Amino acid sequence: MSVDVREKIAVTPPAVPMTTGKKHGRPRLGGYLMMAVAVAVMILPLVWMMLASFKQRDEIYTVPIQWLPESFELSNYFAALAAVPFGNFFINSLITTVVGATLKISLGLTTAYAVVFLEFPFKKFIFGLVVFALLVPQQIVIIPNYTLVSDLGWINSYQGLILPGLASAFGTFLFRQHFLTLPISILEAAALDGASHWTRLWKFVVPISAPTIAAVALVSIVSEWNEYLWPLLVVDKAEMMTLPVGLTLLQNNDGVTNWGVLMAGTVLITVPVLIVFFLLQRRIVTGLTSGAVTG
Amino acid sequence: MSTSPFANLSRRQILQLAALMGGAATLAACGGPAVGEAGGAASEQATDWASVTPAKEITWWSNHPGTSKDLESKIIEDFAKETGIKVNLVTAGANYDEVAQKFQAAAGSSNVPDLVIASDVWWFRYMINGQILPLDKLAAHLDFGTDDFNKTLYNDYEFSNSHWAVPYARSTPLFYYNKAVWEKAGLPDRAPKTWTEFDEWAPKIQAAGGVTPLGLGKGNSWTAWWFCNMLWGAGGAYSKDWTMTLDTPEAIEAAKYLQKIIYDDKSAVVTAKDQVADFGAGLTGCTIASTGSLTGIIAAAKFGIGTGFLPEGAKGAACPTGGTGLAIPASKSPEQQLAAGMFLKFLTNAKNTAYFSSNTGYMPVRTSALEGETMQAVYAKTPQFRTAVDQLAGTRVQDWGRVFVPNGDKDLTTALEKIMLQKGDPAEAFATASTSIAKSYEENVKPYLKA
Amino acid sequence: MSTMTPPVVMRKRRTPWKSWLLFLLFAGPNVALLIIFTYKPLIQSLQYSLLQWNIGSATARFVGLSNYSNWFTDPTTANVVKVTVIFTLVTVAGGMVLGLSLALLLNRKLRGTGMARTVVVAPYVLSGVAVGLLWLFVFDPNFGVLGAVLKGIGLGSPDWYNDPSWALPMIIIVYLWKNVGYVALIYLAALQAVPKDLLEAATLDGAGPFASFRNVMLPLLGPTTFFLSVTTLLSSLQSFDIIQAMTKGGPLEGTTTMMYQIYQEGFATGRAGYSSAIATILFLVLLVITAVQMLFIQKKVHY
Repeated sequence: MSVDVREKIAVTPPAVPMTTGKKHGRPRLGGYLMMAVAVAVMILPLVWMMLASFKQRDEIYTVPIQWLPESFELSNYFAALAAVPFGNFFINSLITTVVGATLKISLGLTTAYAVVFLEFPFKKFIFGLVVFALLVPQQIVIIPNYTLVSDLGWINSYQGLILPGLASAFGTFLFRQHFLTLPISILEAAALDGASHWTRLWKFVVPISAPTIAAVALVSIVSEWNEYLWPLLVVDKAEMMTLPVGLTLLQNNDGVTNWGVLMAGTVLITVPVLIVFFLLQRRIVTGLTSGAVTG
Repeated sequence: MSTSPFANLSRRQILQLAALMGGAATLAACGGPAVGEAGGAASEQATDWASVTPAKEITWWSNHPGTSKDLESKIIEDFAKETGIKVNLVTAGANYDEVAQKFQAAAGSSNVPDLVIASDVWWFRYMINGQILPLDKLAAHLDFGTDDFNKTLYNDYEFSNSHWAVPYARSTPLFYYNKAVWEKAGLPDRAPKTWTEFDEWAPKIQAAGGVTPLGLGKGNSWTAWWFCNMLWGAGGAYSKDWTMTLDTPEAIEAAKYLQKIIYDDKSAVVTAKDQVADFGAGLTGCTIASTGSLTGIIAAAKFGIGTGFLPEGAKGAACPTGGTGLAIPASKSPEQQLAAGMFLKFLTNAKNTAYFSSNTGYMPVRTSALEGETMQAVYAKTPQFRTAVDQLAGTRVQDWGRVFVPNGDKDLTTALEKIMLQKGDPAEAFATASTSIAKSYEENVKPYLKA
Repeated sequence: MSTMTPPVVMRKRRTPWKSWLLFLLFAGPNVALLIIFTYKPLIQSLQYSLLQWNIGSATARFVGLSNYSNWFTDPTTANVVKVTVIFTLVTVAGGMVLGLSLALLLNRKLRGTGMARTVVVAPYVLSGVAVGLLWLFVFDPNFGVLGAVLKGIGLGSPDWYNDPSWALPMIIIVYLWKNVGYVALIYLAALQAVPKDLLEAATLDGAGPFASFRNVMLPLLGPTTFFLSVTTLLSSLQSFDIIQAMTKGGPLEGTTTMMYQIYQEGFATGRAGYSSAIATILFLVLLVITAVQMLFIQKKVHY
């Protein structure tokens, strides 16, 4: 969901935790214990997935269960890669995500700029129109949208994948909230220099809004990357599928559910995301500490 | 911190919004279905096939049943060598349902394939939606040799005197047993001939090794399929033509037998996810699974695998057929349809059906292929295959109430799962399903049938 | 949009054509996309809900409101509503309680909270399909790790896959696992925004940590809680991929929410008109809930 962006902006300084001036040493141990439990609950299922991805079929289908694979060979990975075109999935996910998120952010920025800085009679109404779209669940419009996209001949195409979900509603809302807090003086100075609105947006507003944009971008990227229902319907060629849709092709029919191969596929789509997340998390956090205190 | 995106909307703005949406309604008239009288099945066109030149390139939507992508590609290659026609093989889903969803949603768009997977529970819906072509004339023109198709398998696709698909990856349920368990229990090396015999054997199996004798699968497109065996074997049926017949004593008796082996004798268990996996891991002594799983089961098991006919009920042997056929969409040009027909003939000829069958476990769809060289070699190598093929002779066409009504299979699955998993009252569960299916027939099928 | 004539505003001040053009350039594309892919299909979906239409068919029959009356009288509807309500309430309320607890834990002055926070949020960025599949294998009663652990401590594994009264908790657990980090993150941000001097003042007054939480923190968390109630409710009602990957609505429709039913009727059963009717009902419910929440917020914000 795209609904969480604004709060990520507010997640400012975790590196400098401010906490209550605590005098009680006693609850510390309990705190560490609880933290350990929370972390374990989060990590163990992922570990189980990783282990399973190395197991042979008879190591998985045994009772009692076998915890560790006999060897860490990659045969399940090769099987998964041979069964479905993972390379294509990856490229398709990458293209839809990068293009989709970039355009979405741009649309959000221009719309928010128009709503905040341009003079126009119905701008409040237009803003309402944009924001009200948040209330329309994707599933309710999926049949008419499918009909439209298929009439246009856009099945199995990037535009078919990207366009229907491209409009920016929440992004517009967040950018508007942020723009309202910007110091007017900078823009006035720019206007005096004769800069056009277009220049003012991209040369002045965007650079000082970088932390907000980065936060919104991160969330757009995550939701585009994980999008499932629409790509499931609008693509039927394996070569055009995105990762989440392609992954389900590994679920076998009329045969034995091959957990090892399925888990190898799951690792292939989750682990890169986790790595990127752990890297970006730090960057975003440090970027955020410098500015943006909402509320 | 303003808390909601909607906090800034005034009532006037909401009214304006409503007005604008009203305006959009007039825009919305385009797209979607034409509203009017129901359409119905495509009719046999007066295409003069002799005057048509086949297209040079066609598209085939498949889910590669039984992990058969390589086999399909190989046949496509051979076909191109022989005719010069190129077939684009498209993975349109992981299973029959996914392909069907795509195919139905693609109706009326330019994205319709020239050849499509049409499983036992789906082809009829394609037909009443007018999506597929009746094949009899095309088959006659191309000299398919339809007499050579296994009768049950071919006639599964017959409705109002036309055939709407051709059998491709066809299967039946098959009885699999663990030879090691059988030996330990001192049982003869064969499947139980009747359910009564199974009841006699079950305590011995339990006593011998602490395994549950029989594992039964669940889920849509599956539960109501294998249950045909118990239902028909007891003399019942889901329906007769369009009338549901689950209120008969025979049907109730079949359901009660199912509850008896699960709850009283505890000789059967409904597996959590995959009855094949549980069987392979030695958790159950025997199971009912598709013939399409044969190759996979034998490859995975660490013990000897025996196969046999499904046990008989009081009224004799009963076995349904399943799997998928192939259909040709009605909306394509005659040139493409002709090319698709040629490929269909090639794909299901005696040589190729044997090749496909021997590598998957699906049934050879042609009688002449059954005793051909390829299959003989297979029987010699895996004698278990022989049982599956022999059982085919006694199969029967499915009940319409399950396979022809849109939610038929789903409602029956729900009823059977209530019976199996929650010890629900059979009469009540069947009545709920029957009402729902009858209603769905009135609404979703009847208006589309031509008088 | 140009069909909307603006008599009131025009009187006040004339908008030069350049402003129109500029506004069109900036906001036009986004608004056009919304109209084409959100508002127009919304109206179309309302139209479809009045039709008997099998999705593959080129024709349909007008049936008035009978799709709606069919849904309200269908024997399975009560169950679908029950599943939807339980799933939504537990994921929203449970998510907030767990999220706040995690946030309080992570807000303490302990080593490793930064790392722990990252770990807790991590599942939120994963694909719902992948999360569903990996948990499916954890829950497998015979071959999964959870069953083995439960057996290890002398319990049997619940029948997660076959028993509807366990399948729904399974889906809820996975949903919470994936999304609780998000709630925690937001609460954490709100906690850290609590002015230090307020807390210090409370401590000087001799308030213990619990009292200062209840008297100082909790009231300040009000707006955040309401924000979360809106956003998590919307996403919970729309959740699809975990259900699709794990149970496909089964067993015995024990995990079929309204949203899942919309998909299933529309694309699996193929009754597009019926599906559109359910979608419309759900949409109206969403509207009402959001309206109620807005009223609450407006009251609460001005305390």
